[in-house]
Amino acid sequence: MAAPLIRTLHMGKRYALPAGDLQALVDVNIEVREGEFIAIMGPSGSGKSTFMNVLGCLDVPSEGEYFLQGQAVAAMSVNQRAHLRNTLIGFVFQSYNLLPRLDAVENVGLPLVYAGVGVRERNRRCRELLAQVGLERYTTFLPPQLSGGQQQRVAIARSLVNDAMLLLADEPTGNLDSRTSEEILAIFERLNRERRLTIVMVTHEADVAQHAQRLVRFHDGRIVSDTPVARAAAQRQAVAS
Amino acid sequence: MIYSELLRESGRSMRTNRMRTALTMLGMMIGVAAVVAMLAVGNGARASVNAVIASLGSNMLMVISGAQTSGGLRVASGATPTLHLTDADAIRSLPGVAAVAPASPQAAQIVAGANNWSTSVLGTTPDYLQIRDWPLARGSNFSLSDMRSAARVAVIGQTVAQNLFGGAEPVGQTIRIARSPYQVIGLLAPKGQSFGGQDQDDTVLVPISTAQRKLFGAQFGDTVRVIMVQAQGSELLAPVQDEVAALLRQRHHIAAGQDPDFSVRNLTEFANAAASTTRTMSLLLGLIASISLVVGGIGIMNIMLVSVTERTREVGLRMAVGARPADILEQFLMEAVLVSLAGCLAGILIGIACVQVVNRLFALHSLVTAGSMLLAVLVSLAVGTFFGFYPARKAARLEPIEALRYQ
Ligand SMILES: Nc1ncnc2c1ncn2[C@@H]1O[C@H](COP(=O)(O)OP(=O)(O)O)[C@@H](O)[C@H]1O
Ligand SMILES: [Mg+2]
Repeated sequence: MAAPLIRTLHMGKRYALPAGDLQALVDVNIEVREGEFIAIMGPSGSGKSTFMNVLGCLDVPSEGEYFLQGQAVAAMSVNQRAHLRNTLIGFVFQSYNLLPRLDAVENVGLPLVYAGVGVRERNRRCRELLAQVGLERYTTFLPPQLSGGQQQRVAIARSLVNDAMLLLADEPTGNLDSRTSEEILAIFERLNRERRLTIVMVTHEADVAQHAQRLVRFHDGRIVSDTPVARAAAQRQAVAS
Repeated sequence: MIYSELLRESGRSMRTNRMRTALTMLGMMIGVAAVVAMLAVGNGARASVNAVIASLGSNMLMVISGAQTSGGLRVASGATPTLHLTDADAIRSLPGVAAVAPASPQAAQIVAGANNWSTSVLGTTPDYLQIRDWPLARGSNFSLSDMRSAARVAVIGQTVAQNLFGGAEPVGQTIRIARSPYQVIGLLAPKGQSFGGQDQDDTVLVPISTAQRKLFGAQFGDTVRVIMVQAQGSELLAPVQDEVAALLRQRHHIAAGQDPDFSVRNLTEFANAAASTTRTMSLLLGLIASISLVVGGIGIMNIMLVSVTERTREVGLRMAVGARPADILEQFLMEAVLVSLAGCLAGILIGIACVQVVNRLFALHSLVTAGSMLLAVLVSLAVGTFFGFYPARKAARLEPIEALRYQ
């Protein structure tokens, strides 16, 4: 069996604050295989975002180890981590984080700019991805001209434009109504199924978590449970029979 | 990051904040305009000083009748001059002296046909034109035999010719000076303005013997107001100046420690002093220009720091999608340099306009040279890089998570 895409060993993250150290993550041990779709839940302040930032190589653990594709991230240089974020990882944030001055195509193409891809090839790939998330008619729109759901779809296209293997989504539906949330989740499920895209998604809502295959719960910086998700439909069937 | 990408991004950012970009450019613009105008006007002024120096005649000393005055070149009129023609002859036999020309100016009314003109009539010798490096446009100079016979002949300047004869040929015509007829035998080439701004072409030359005997009357005898002395080389100017002074003190019986009744002036020195004044002015202007360039640079740094703070989240996002610190540094540095460069180009245009105005006002012919424009561009690139570096590095050193969390 292939090595896991993500593996952490006694991983901790400590923030040094004026009022004393704050242990945001404590002894986190987890393995994520390629193609998994994981939901992360937990109360506010339990360390979910911190965990996502470390997984996304935006931050480094202060204790223990984090291996991405078997490579120790803690030992990497700033530029090596930038390269991983550029080529392997895609982020989707609660607040979309699109650049308001760039139109949809340019926003989607941003990772390709740093990968050194020329403008023609960039535009071609961006249009293709925008079409995949159903925005083929909005390529030249600026973010303020798009609805929340449309903006989040642009953000998803951006996270995939470099053929990322790992999609990290921190409360991607937090700002969206339930119908739009369902549309976004449908896109996630399709990407997970068709591309074998590995997805780690933080959410507050149990029904959003239902779309994942595995549910990890955090509490006070620790993983307190890690269980497969019983499919809602399967559950209903089980109840009915 | 690819350069075309950097340019695109910087251009976009500059367009988005037009007003701010314009204000940022302002300091640079003023500084560059000052530099460009300063270089051009400095060169123009130097060129016109050089032209005046050349128009004086080379290696020239001037012996002026009367006690030395602080006023410099102004020749005291009224009192009987203290110099004599014999002084001029004595000076001519000193070693190192190439030529000597006594000169006595006198205001006079000149009439030709229906026109009349007030000018200065200079009694002198044929050597005068050689000493002044002053060629004739047409006709001829008066000769030694004209001198001996005190002939009524005149060589006239361009301004006089223009006012008396308009476009007509003056050589061969007759003019009346103090009611006596004189034949115009030569027309001087144009000479332009002197240091004092006087029109040197507004003059009439006659043999000094004629002036003394027939024109100015017996009042002043054979005295002269000025003796022009040309040394054989510029290195001889100082020794000849000393020799002339010693000789005249002896001839005029002036005891040691007593003030002489004449002064000896080195006009080239005077011109050099004027040249060094323009140099000092240029330096001063250069200093002001550099200060405003530095102020402009600080303005760029200031605005770039604000811009980095404002765009903290953008920096975080760019880092999250793979920008390395070097990419962020390049982006902000490029923006600073572009703003600086744009300010520079605007400054060059303003500088050119200023030079046109100064040329009009002071009758100069200053030109903004390609060299000074290139200098301005290089300086603005340097200023943009230098003052843009600190803000750019600040952006590049942001932690991605902190930047993304920034509100
Ligand atoms: N950059 C930081 N500096 C200091 N403390 C932080 C930082 N990021 C997070 N924290 C703290 O770490 C804890 C976990 O935060 P976070 O991971 O954002 O929780 P969650 O996303 O689960 O709500 C919180 O107490 C938070 O205040
Ligand atoms: Mg969070």
